[in-house]
Amino acid sequence: MSRIIADLQASLRDSEAVAMLSGDGGDAILAVQHDQAVLLNRAAFGRHIENAGEENRQWFQLGPEEVFFLCHALKCITVQSENKKQMGEAELWDLFTSTSEPFPEMYEAYQHLRLKNWVVKSGLQYGADFVAYRHHPALVHSEFAVIVVPEGKAFGGRCGRLQVWSDLLCALRASGSVAKTLLVLTISTKGCDLTSSDCLCQLIVHERTITRWIPQQCRELRDNPSREEANWDVQIQKPCREEASREEQEDTGEGIVFSYWGVILSFTIISALAYKLKF
Amino acid sequence: MSRIIADLQASLRDSEAVAMLSGDGAILAVHDLAVLLNRAAFGRHIENAGEEKRQWFQLGPEEMFFLYHTLKCITVQSANKKQMGEAELWDLFTSTSEPFPEMYKAYQHLRLKNWVVKSGLQYGADFVAYRHHPALVHSEFAVIVVPEGEAFGGRCGRLQVWSDLLCALRASGSVAKTLLVLTISTKACDLTSSDCLCQLIVHERTITRWIPQQCRELRDNPSREEASTEKQEDTREGIVFSYWGVILSFTIISVLAYKLKF
Repeated sequence: MSRIIADLQASLRDSEAVAMLSGDGGDAILAVQHDQAVLLNRAAFGRHIENAGEENRQWFQLGPEEVFFLCHALKCITVQSENKKQMGEAELWDLFTSTSEPFPEMYEAYQHLRLKNWVVKSGLQYGADFVAYRHHPALVHSEFAVIVVPEGKAFGGRCGRLQVWSDLLCALRASGSVAKTLLVLTISTKGCDLTSSDCLCQLIVHERTITRWIPQQCRELRDNPSREEANWDVQIQKPCREEASREEQEDTGEGIVFSYWGVILSFTIISALAYKLKF
Repeated sequence: MSRIIADLQASLRDSEAVAMLSGDGAILAVHDLAVLLNRAAFGRHIENAGEEKRQWFQLGPEEMFFLYHTLKCITVQSANKKQMGEAELWDLFTSTSEPFPEMYKAYQHLRLKNWVVKSGLQYGADFVAYRHHPALVHSEFAVIVVPEGEAFGGRCGRLQVWSDLLCALRASGSVAKTLLVLTISTKACDLTSSDCLCQLIVHERTITRWIPQQCRELRDNPSREEASTEKQEDTREGIVFSYWGVILSFTIISVLAYKLKF
């Protein structure tokens, strides 16, 4: 993955790619050539926008963290606003923090994981901030559901997440139901001015995975389905996600077909034998 | 349920039951009222060998304050046998657990509408609400309490981000419950006294996911997990029936074949 990102960085730098900001949410559109599109897909940046027509120019929609990562950390694209004005790093930072208040800690978490070669995508549909894949999303399922918890006065009222036991158990259950491990990234700072992107170096990231420990499960190797939680967790250990349950359904479906044919065949043979017996 | 609670209230008042504070909640000693307490689903029965007549129940903070403040049918003693008044109880509970005002308001709100309210900690919610006794039904709602207003300070930060809301939705959906969000708001209320309870306004909202395919088509479209589990049960029954049919048929065949040979 680091190699793919290094190739992408070199390629985008050579072609002097320009991303254009679009919409209110801080998203940007990047126009790239075909080979760069392949690299972008392999590095899992952004989302390819289908467009008929030009073969050589492909459009990718990038999220705010991805744009800032390509601009600030990899330094391989430049960003233009809607009225073709070049955006400097400070202006980009101001724009993103004004659009989305938790942008500093979200970006720090994104950068932290990306620089360790994890593929980071939006975790909104799984009830988390990000999901982290070990390889390309098409090859593996994501392993971690990432929740970003800021700490420190500089973050103001945003520190209220996961403070109550029920919130933590809720996140645990939600990530467990999609077979992911909960990863809590705690971003802390001593006294940092979040209005500038220079604060990124001063943010400290602590990573903690939180998993449930079931006494029966860890001692006994066999399934013990007597408790409700144990039953539920046992189902998690088996691949109980939607794809796996569909597989199980197919197996049972095949089992039914086989059994029904067996019954029909047997009854045919019985009636033939009975007929033979009568004569 | 309202009848059961009325009976419980009358019995506790007559027997002048006293709850003793211990730990987070309180312990209540009752003689013949254990059955009523179980039927109204208050507290947790503590097993004890020995005395048959005196049964002990452990009550949570909200349950105890409900019996004391709303139903007015028990009195509370602290660990050193001192009688506790309402203000002292309120101070004790708010100092132990900061979100006690809104949690108790939500508990009282649902209990007075005859829902059975239990702790929802194992389901990732604040409370779970049952329509009848927990032994008879599964809980229908996973309740999350969200305070609103300056009086609550920093506790208003829950469910403010989309990912938190979707997380709660997914967690409650995975245990087949509907997410119920109780928003407790107040204009300007002093939370240090239990008089503020009358001024707290409760808004109830259920949040569910809307799946376009599911709501249009009447037939089961097994693309979601719930529909697929139902289908799995049907198919499993079908398998059992079919396997017995195969076994039976083969038995008959072998008997007939045996008969034919002779």
